[in-house]
Amino acid sequence: MPYLRSGNRPKRRQISVAIPALLAGFALFSPQIAVATGTRAGTLIDNTATATYDPGSGPVTVNSNIQQLKVDELIDTTVGWSDSADVITTPGATSQILKYQVANTGNGVETFGLSSVANIGGDQYDPTVTSIVIDDGDGVYEPGIDTVYVAGAGDLVLNPDQNITVFVVSTTPGGVVDGNRGGVRLVATSKTGTGAPGTSFAGAGEGGSNAVLGTTGGDGQNDGFYLVSSATVALVKSATVVDPFGGATSVPGSRITYRIVATTTGSGTLPNLSVNDAVPASTTYVPGSITLGGIGQSDAVDTDAGSFAASAIAVSLGNVPGGQVRTITFQVTIN
Amino acid sequence: MKLTISAVFFALSLSSPSLAQNANAVSLNSDVMVERTTTDANGRSQVTLEEPRMVVPGDHLVFVLRYRNNGAQPAGSFVVTNPLPSAVAFQGTADTSATVSVDGGRNWGTLSTLEISNQDGTKRPARSEDVTHIRWAFAQPIPAGQAGRLMFRGIVR
Repeated sequence: MPYLRSGNRPKRRQISVAIPALLAGFALFSPQIAVATGTRAGTLIDNTATATYDPGSGPVTVNSNIQQLKVDELIDTTVGWSDSADVITTPGATSQILKYQVANTGNGVETFGLSSVANIGGDQYDPTVTSIVIDDGDGVYEPGIDTVYVAGAGDLVLNPDQNITVFVVSTTPGGVVDGNRGGVRLVATSKTGTGAPGTSFAGAGEGGSNAVLGTTGGDGQNDGFYLVSSATVALVKSATVVDPFGGATSVPGSRITYRIVATTTGSGTLPNLSVNDAVPASTTYVPGSITLGGIGQSDAVDTDAGSFAASAIAVSLGNVPGGQVRTITFQVTIN
Repeated sequence: MKLTISAVFFALSLSSPSLAQNANAVSLNSDVMVERTTTDANGRSQVTLEEPRMVVPGDHLVFVLRYRNNGAQPAGSFVVTNPLPSAVAFQGTADTSATVSVDGGRNWGTLSTLEISNQDGTKRPARSEDVTHIRWAFAQPIPAGQAGRLMFRGIVR
């Protein structure tokens, strides 16, 4: 509360006279000082002037009354999403992290509650938020070290200009597909109050000052996004038969060459992709017939990709990004 | 030239302080108001002066000093000095007779004549927010019974 303390101040103000003169005279002076946070709430501004004069009998000094103001608390906060780009996720992935900054841009110590909104619209899916986590100061998400936010008891108490890192931890639904984008809105809300800018709360500010909502209205929010990056594989199998007579009939002794084309699509990667195919009944695998990309593979489980065991071939393709084609062949003879 | 004479008077008054308090002869009153700009539905902005019931950083303050010579004698060498509260950035005065100091009252002048020493020893022109004091030195005595008003503006840092 900026209260007034004045000694000999006249009770009746002459504002009506003062205004035209002030406006005319001061029109030239209107530069805005860049106020980052500004004078701390509760600070007293005491103004006093001194006059000296000489009535003929020597210098005399006169002090004015002390005009005192108390600086009120301006409540402002900002929330920023601080990942440099959409956070890449995959269908069904857990502990997916979005990083935000919550700042007290007001001029008094203030308590802020946090909440998240997954259903923000304008995206393709709603991440399942599992927790909000307060960073311990190093800017790195560390489960078990950073503090899981609990509304009320764990509300943030921030000094003016203080900025803290907050993580949103989510699970990505299993049904999402490559290219889907899902956002989470983090909201910081002043516990003193929110509302239209300029709304005041008598005596609720720091140091017994009033609190008044600044341009942010006492709350701040920002959206962070996940981007699903996955890949799928399509297998196309074909067969070519060569009979013992140079024809293409399927008779005992005919050799069948199976060709499996694996085509991956999507922006992500298929981890440890393996193609397995059982040798059909009434056929016998031709040893050493597996090829990958035209290159022969041994039947043993070893350093190359191909292997044969238990009447099935297996080709380990490793991590395969989307947009790739792998061609596998193997041969059998008809019994 | 007026300025120079006033400054000399002021210096004299400082060098020969008198304990003879004639306290009620001249009164000096300090007051402050908040200047707010509001925009109406038609987009016209309006500036109003209000009692400082609510003051936050960035608010514009108007300081008003009222003086009155209640004595029977003219008050000569009349000088009014107002140190700027540290939380207030000076924003100028319409009164061209005022001088300011940016070094705690050691040197005085109009703002454009003053400089601030940087850390590295270089100097830069003083800015309004550097002002530490404002002063009015009157060339003419204040006649008995006369009153007046001095004003300057500040912004809450």
